[in-house]
Amino acid sequence: MNTPFLLQVLCGLGNAVLILALAPFCEGLLRKLTARIQSRQGPPLRQPYYDLLKLLGKEDLESGEVPGMQRFAVFLSLAVILSLAFLIPMGFFAPLSGAGDVLLVVYLMALSGICTLLAGLAAGSTYSVLGISREMMTMIALEPILAIAIVVGAIHAGSFNLDAALSGSVYRTQGIPWSGLILLGVLLLSFQAFVQRVPFDITEAETEIMEGPLMEYSGPKLALFKYAQMSKLLVYSALFVSLFVPWGNRLPFPLGWAWFWFKVLGIVGLVTVIAATHARYRIDQAIRFFAGLLAVALMALILASYGY
Amino acid sequence: MSVLSKLKEAVICLKAGRVTLPYPSESRPVPARFRGRPLFDPAKCIGCAGCANNCPAREILVEDLCQEIRIIRYLGRRCTYCGRCADVCPEKAITMSPEFENATNHIGDIQQRIELFMSTCQRCGRCFKEPGFLDQLKAKGYRFDDVQHERWILRSQAYLATEPTVDDIKIDLD
Amino acid sequence: MTSKSISIEMLKNLCQKMFGRSLWVYHANSGGCNGCDIEVLNVLTPFYDAERFGIKLVGSPRHADVMLCQGPAMRATAKALQRAYEAMPAPKLVFAIGSCACGGGIWHDTYSVLGPVEKLLPVNFYIPGCPPRPEAIIYGVAVAVGLVDKKAAPVQFKQIELPIPRYHPNDLRGRDELVVYEKVDRV
Repeated sequence: MNTPFLLQVLCGLGNAVLILALAPFCEGLLRKLTARIQSRQGPPLRQPYYDLLKLLGKEDLESGEVPGMQRFAVFLSLAVILSLAFLIPMGFFAPLSGAGDVLLVVYLMALSGICTLLAGLAAGSTYSVLGISREMMTMIALEPILAIAIVVGAIHAGSFNLDAALSGSVYRTQGIPWSGLILLGVLLLSFQAFVQRVPFDITEAETEIMEGPLMEYSGPKLALFKYAQMSKLLVYSALFVSLFVPWGNRLPFPLGWAWFWFKVLGIVGLVTVIAATHARYRIDQAIRFFAGLLAVALMALILASYGY
Repeated sequence: MSVLSKLKEAVICLKAGRVTLPYPSESRPVPARFRGRPLFDPAKCIGCAGCANNCPAREILVEDLCQEIRIIRYLGRRCTYCGRCADVCPEKAITMSPEFENATNHIGDIQQRIELFMSTCQRCGRCFKEPGFLDQLKAKGYRFDDVQHERWILRSQAYLATEPTVDDIKIDLD
Repeated sequence: MTSKSISIEMLKNLCQKMFGRSLWVYHANSGGCNGCDIEVLNVLTPFYDAERFGIKLVGSPRHADVMLCQGPAMRATAKALQRAYEAMPAPKLVFAIGSCACGGGIWHDTYSVLGPVEKLLPVNFYIPGCPPRPEAIIYGVAVAVGLVDKKAAPVQFKQIELPIPRYHPNDLRGRDELVVYEKVDRV
């Protein structure tokens, strides 16, 4: 696409602002739906906005081993999520498609896991280190699955360009798209782990390790971290929808864009229902589960390389 | 598949509706014989100090100000709402009311204080108080808890010192 | 410059107003019998649902606004309780739940109890009861946030000084068995 650079930047900025405005609303929806499934009234839908504003007004205590790294980890995590908003096509073309290709998206997703690692290292207490060791184990098993999904899309589309590879290209084979369907199943089963919700939210387990890496954060930095977590849910859902649920993307601009966000909200609802009805897995059970899924994903990669 | 059974579970829970009691706007009636805050009725109290003798948390303080005036003060801080004072009172002047909404930001808000006239004996005209201070300490009915500073005094130790009733243990907290 | 400081003032006011709408709670039991613990846990169940006020239970004192203290101040846990209080960021509140935290409870004179929680920490709110009903705890939080009015007030009764007839030894006339009262109306 030969759209002018300024338009691309503006579209990216619009994406980022929309994600920032919508993320607490999705979290509120998640909490309200969880409460309704548990037969209780639940907080008002605007509760996460109140939470974030209250956290901004609290005192900022710098504590832990390395306070400078604490600051760095927080800003880096929010920055990584928002730069993903500039790269993923959300209802229209990918805003900064000239700036990188799908491998950049894979690395940015790995970087958001590294941010949690930095946050836990900056705190330096026993619980934080336990939390980040579990996060690293999960990441080793999990990031290859998403990378394989994106690469299969690139194989079928024939290029690493963002627009081509990320718009439903896993289904673009002659005949029945076996690799696409296998990968759809694999990602549906492991999506909860990417967005860090029950049953796979082992790093931020409140009851077990006292919120692990986030233990030493207070006030505005905690607000930014929570914001980053909420935005992560939306961005990953957008990526999932653009990879695996592309039907209806060719509609003209306002309709196609609204339809895209409707699909994203549907994915958020699915995440909520699964999160409210399951219990948390232990780390060894989770690793065994992901190892099985990784084997199936590798099989899908081999099938894709043969053209199926 | 376990995911399907979990989704069925979600549908079943949704059918239960909302069971939340919207508490500050609506409240449930308390069960019968519920023991809330004790209420002292000064019209019926005869000043026998039976409640103070029997309180397990020593929350009722009694002091004889002078020959005829006896102060009974109920501090609500450590009351465990056991109801022994109401059981023991010979005139049924204490009732355990069903009030449980006692939260406050100043702990002195829950206290109740009664000042009573104690009458003299109708035959001999003497009051129930010995004239001398040492004789007063030996008399069975004389009470001298420090109502103003909220300290109860052990009657077995016949000294009115300025010592606090609970040991203030000095610990160094860094 | 002034418009920037005005907007910062507005943001600060907004943040302070939001404090009452989303209280994050840290629960610290320093040696109680766990009766009040169970009542606090009851408040978080679907029947009494504390989350509709925005209250969330957090695991770390650094994330919390309110510390719910139960149990009296004990010699063994005094330092730990003070450290947890210092770890909370300002603005912070301390609620003392139960008779043990408000005044020492029924254990106030045992060997390991230092006294009520206010010997170690400045307490903002007292919720007495043994244990307080879940409704009483919710009522206490609602009063602290400002939703309802306080109901407890001190009660004092002074017997009105009526001129009652008093028999005084000075009014006795006569000797030995012929003691007779000459009633004098004196107050």
